[in-house]
Amino acid sequence: MQVYYLEFFVVALGLVMLMVDAFAKLQDKRSLARLGILGLGVVFLLLFAVQSPSNAASPVWKFYAAPDNLSLFFKGVALLTTILSLVMAIDFAPIVLSKIAPPDQGAHPQAGLGEFYSLPVFVCAGLMWMASANNLVSIFVSIEVVSITFIILAGYMRRNVGSLEAGVKYLILGALSAGFLVYGFAWLYGITGSMELGPITEALAKPGVNSTAAMFAFSLILVSLAFKLGAAPFHIWVPDVYQGAPTPITAFLSVGSKAGAAIVTLRLVYPYLTSPVLGTKALAILVVIAILTLLLGNLGALAQKNLKRLMGYSSVGHSGFLIMALASTSYPGAVNALSPVAVFAYYIGAYLLMTLLVFLVLNVLNAADTGETLDSIRGLAKRSPFLAGILLIALASLAGVPLTTGFIGKFLAFKIALDAGQWMLIAAALIGAAAGFYFYLKIAASMYLDAPSSSDGAAIPVNLLTKVSMVILAILILLTGIVPNVIVKLFS
Amino acid sequence: MDPSLTLNPLLLVSGLLFAIGLTGVLARRNLLIIFMCLELMLAAGNLTLVAFSRFHLVDGAPAYDAHVFVFFVITVAAAEVAVGLAIIIALFRSKKTTDVTEVTTMKY
Repeated sequence: MQVYYLEFFVVALGLVMLMVDAFAKLQDKRSLARLGILGLGVVFLLLFAVQSPSNAASPVWKFYAAPDNLSLFFKGVALLTTILSLVMAIDFAPIVLSKIAPPDQGAHPQAGLGEFYSLPVFVCAGLMWMASANNLVSIFVSIEVVSITFIILAGYMRRNVGSLEAGVKYLILGALSAGFLVYGFAWLYGITGSMELGPITEALAKPGVNSTAAMFAFSLILVSLAFKLGAAPFHIWVPDVYQGAPTPITAFLSVGSKAGAAIVTLRLVYPYLTSPVLGTKALAILVVIAILTLLLGNLGALAQKNLKRLMGYSSVGHSGFLIMALASTSYPGAVNALSPVAVFAYYIGAYLLMTLLVFLVLNVLNAADTGETLDSIRGLAKRSPFLAGILLIALASLAGVPLTTGFIGKFLAFKIALDAGQWMLIAAALIGAAAGFYFYLKIAASMYLDAPSSSDGAAIPVNLLTKVSMVILAILILLTGIVPNVIVKLFS
Repeated sequence: MDPSLTLNPLLLVSGLLFAIGLTGVLARRNLLIIFMCLELMLAAGNLTLVAFSRFHLVDGAPAYDAHVFVFFVITVAAAEVAVGLAIIIALFRSKKTTDVTEVTTMKY
């Protein structure tokens, strides 16, 4: 099977969901989400049936990369993230319904919910396309497919001021980043005379390349990608949008959008890093961004009281570790025993497991109207030992406690930075990791040690699908933390 | 092609457009004006693309890759405007203002 069929299937699934929503007169629209989960699950299995292209000369490969392990891995990440976000969206349905317009006379009582379940599927197609885009045009269009759909989703609860604000902020900053991207691409095209990444890499490696113009294009493109990745100093929107958006969408945004931006960054930054003329300069910029992101993200989280906002800062901090892995690439004169791309991919995988697990729990708390501040989960262990245990595993992994996948991810990032001799980066990362230890474990301690904030002691109900997803993610976190060899071998 | 036309003035104009757009986004407070300035930035990118395309000759004819890109940028910008105006209208309905300094309920 050709690799680009996967995106066709996902788009078709999204259209089918819209049609079913419009014509099938469903009693309970939540079954649409179940249809989506099923369909995306099938596409995920089809990932393993992808064959290498039979006709390598076909014009398709000019804007769509032939399948390799990296792009297939990121397609898998996109699919899993979408599936889990839909699982959350099922629980979140009552809140979305209460925050959009009250139904007209005679309309379906769940009017407006169908699109909430269909749009993430289109985002998923965009994310999968990003993983394979190898032409400036297809990179731009796939990024915008994702970002425009996210604008709608972030502002979906239009009777809620927070959600609207999140939508407006994402709209303005998303469009600003698109402006930088187009201008940067225009200059990149002007310097290299090509739209395809292959010829661009060759042109940038030539000794005669105009390095001022090339670095100008690099800076513009990097500004745009830093917005999407949530890297400092362009991370200011992250906490606001994360706090305001509906919780399933926040989860989707923090993992899906970041993974997509990460693979595009990898593809666009590599031609610069491997160029003998521009490599050192590009690397210096990346190192500065990584240090800033590590410090601002992790230190900013210390003062947060809102859990979703805290996860926003945490996501910025993790971007710092990602960029650190990238900035340890092919440092002139250093020998990397470990491939930075493998570390990068591993970190994204680990980030997916632990962040989505935190959001699964937060989403259940949200749906039970428990609130999303630090105070609201005080003494959670007495009320719902299951949720508290799951959240503890996720937080331990985010903090980087040994025997969890988060530890292995951080360890690998430190290892390649060490191999590359990036001492400044390591110092910043140590400070960041220490701050992270404090604020993640502060939440865990408040769950287990403090007295419950409210007198309401009833356990919070968790439905079966959510419970199963939580247990699977928790097991994967521990498994990949205890026997990482298997995974590392898979990547190298 | 008019031989007196060179690449540099075109790049200068597009650079100015980009700078004006960026300044507007950073300095203005009305969401609609900010949105117009964002479109100006995209237009600057388009102009740069067309200019480079015009002067990047392949076998004596301009390369048309960038022209195709421009069409995609215009289409994407149109989609962004459709979504953006809808959100701005929803915001106006709930807050009766399009001033960005009023859009700050979320703080620490």
